[in-house]
Amino acid sequence: MSSEDDPWGLDDLIDTIASSEAAHTDPAAAEPDPSDAEPAPSDAEPDPATTPSAEPAPAATPSLSPEESTDAEFMGESGLAVTGQARLEAAYGSGDGDEVMHAQVVKRAQVDSGTIFHQIYREWNGVLNPRWVRNWSIFRHHVYGLFSKGHRPWPVMTRIIIAVVFLGALAPLLMLVLSSLTGLDELQRFFGVTRANLWGHVFGFFFNNACCWPIVTALVIGGLISEDRQNGTSAIYFSNPITRTDYTVMKYISAASILSIIIVFSYCIFYAVAILVNNEGWAYLLDTFPYFFAGLIAALLLVTTYTSIGLALSSVSRGKFFPAVSLIGLLLGSKMLAFLIELLFETDVMYLISPYDNLAHIGQWMMRLNSTYDFPVAWSFVSILVMNAVSLYVLISRVNSLEVTRE
Amino acid sequence: MSEEWVITTEDLVKKYGEHVALDSISLKINYGATGLLGPNGAGKSTLIKTILGLIQLTSGTGTVLGHNIATEGNQIRQRIGYMPEYDCLTPSMNAVHQVRYAGELLGMNTTQAMQRAHEVLEYVGLRDQRYRDIETFSTGMQQATKLACSLINDPDLVICDEPTNGLDSKARGFMLDTLFQVVKQGGRSILMSSHLMDDVEHICDRIVMIHKGKVIAQGRIEDLKAIDREIEISVWGGASRLEDALTHGGHNVRRTGRVMRIVRQDEDTYRDILSSAAQTKVQVRRMEDYEPSLEDLFIVIMDRLGYSVKSSADLFDSGNTPAMDRATDLSRLGGGSI
Repeated sequence: MSSEDDPWGLDDLIDTIASSEAAHTDPAAAEPDPSDAEPAPSDAEPDPATTPSAEPAPAATPSLSPEESTDAEFMGESGLAVTGQARLEAAYGSGDGDEVMHAQVVKRAQVDSGTIFHQIYREWNGVLNPRWVRNWSIFRHHVYGLFSKGHRPWPVMTRIIIAVVFLGALAPLLMLVLSSLTGLDELQRFFGVTRANLWGHVFGFFFNNACCWPIVTALVIGGLISEDRQNGTSAIYFSNPITRTDYTVMKYISAASILSIIIVFSYCIFYAVAILVNNEGWAYLLDTFPYFFAGLIAALLLVTTYTSIGLALSSVSRGKFFPAVSLIGLLLGSKMLAFLIELLFETDVMYLISPYDNLAHIGQWMMRLNSTYDFPVAWSFVSILVMNAVSLYVLISRVNSLEVTRE
Repeated sequence: MSEEWVITTEDLVKKYGEHVALDSISLKINYGATGLLGPNGAGKSTLIKTILGLIQLTSGTGTVLGHNIATEGNQIRQRIGYMPEYDCLTPSMNAVHQVRYAGELLGMNTTQAMQRAHEVLEYVGLRDQRYRDIETFSTGMQQATKLACSLINDPDLVICDEPTNGLDSKARGFMLDTLFQVVKQGGRSILMSSHLMDDVEHICDRIVMIHKGKVIAQGRIEDLKAIDREIEISVWGGASRLEDALTHGGHNVRRTGRVMRIVRQDEDTYRDILSSAAQTKVQVRRMEDYEPSLEDLFIVIMDRLGYSVKSSADLFDSGNTPAMDRATDLSRLGGGSI
């Protein structure tokens, strides 16, 4: 073994320990081997580090010379018995102080000092993908963030509330299954697919529109743009080949997709399960699909309207608290105000300022339900269009003000 | 690199209403490291946004890496890495995912972006911290993460806006060394905007100095320093007499006690100093050429613009820059390509 292969002499050391142990345990091994008993050169002193002693060494107070002690890597190498007591005494000098002590110090490792951290610039010769891949990464960042790490870090409470609301939106499925199993007509009428039930799944005020949809919208949209302004992360987007149009559209689609999973997807599942559990045929499909489709369009209109208003509020603020609270306040406050005015003045025209009521009105019209509002549905259409247009204008103008260099 | 210049602009004008942010900027910046200097409000940020292809120009043309800044912003940004001065990181993301996301926004696929994110984070010294949330990072580590984001696509040009902002001396040294390595080892170009002259001098061999939307100096730092080469002397006995004599002899003298600096006009300046000293019976105990720092150069240039500045910090730190008293022809300071 060359010194390059074993710079610390570990192999020699292991051989020494092994032979030393053999000498202690096997008396035969302690006998001098004639083959090994060659006379040493006269000028060569026996090396205690390589010549193991057959005699057991004293347990304490090693009497090595300083030269020997510095050469030995540890006491066993010098032929002395290695005991805990000896090491303690050598290390801490636990004797009475009168004896001549030589500390057994492990030889300093002779390692070439090197650089652990090599700062080497590595080139990258890959090909950058086109625009749709960049836009897809924005969508993925936001939507996948709900389900996995490494993407947009949605707060845990937001994820929990979204999951709870989604499961709550699927709760009518259980009643559908129950009504199918029991075959009770009352349950079928109450929970089965009817125009009123389809409308109610999306537009029912209690409990979905009074609580679930506004809260989920507020949680999803609150920080979507405002946190980019707050953290300056807009610079990451706009210093890359992401245009403001791409940024706005992909943020919009991301938010709308998350809301659609909860509102629209649960609506579709409700309809599909109703068909499956009741084993309905084509005639039923032909009869109910137009209403389902009308409800689907109305649900998408609700999602887009809530997304537009929410993102507009998010774009005008820093942090997620203001947009979230103001969105809930706008959705519920406008309805409450209209309700109070209706009570006081017996006119429901003020419902035109309520996004929810306009959407509910449009939904009733699309699904051919009796309207609960006295004003024409065209007014609601106009009101929703104006709300969306104003929201998108605010959103676009505020996104244009997002800076790359400085806010 | 097929393009001759990394950045070229010609009569670049950008107006915000009546305010002229960039006033006929004509630049030719070569490959390598270039410093971008100027007081607050000089137009540095506007110039950077122009180079990134983010703003609509009022008039003028320009190219960055061969791409037109007016029409090819996306292609430019695909080949540029930008390290902003201010926070631009998501606090609750960890570093490797933040850098990977920056790569994805450039168009890298996820696997490539993740692999490259590990490489660049190791390069900027964050190998062991790459899975930590950014909100737990020190300022130096955040700056390093920003640099990693800008290097993710191995850009041909890195634009660094105050890269050493808020760093302690150790982190600052590492950041400057890293940027230096990007230029020297990686062969990339850097345009570095900084208020710290030492930082610029550490990395860059050329500077562009802008003021009120105009380029007031550009060129190699060594060449620009030549405009302010002085001879420093220490005298004994009659410093005022010698100062007067030199001033009357047509020399530009700055004096602090027994130390004087005389602007070196030509080789005869040495002889004039010694003869003036002999005439005024003043001992010259030391005489040597004085090499100005970039800080000195900046002060000289600003002085010629009519500013009464003691240091560059007067201009950079204070919001109220002194009014320009007189227009000075500084064409001899720069011009041409750098």
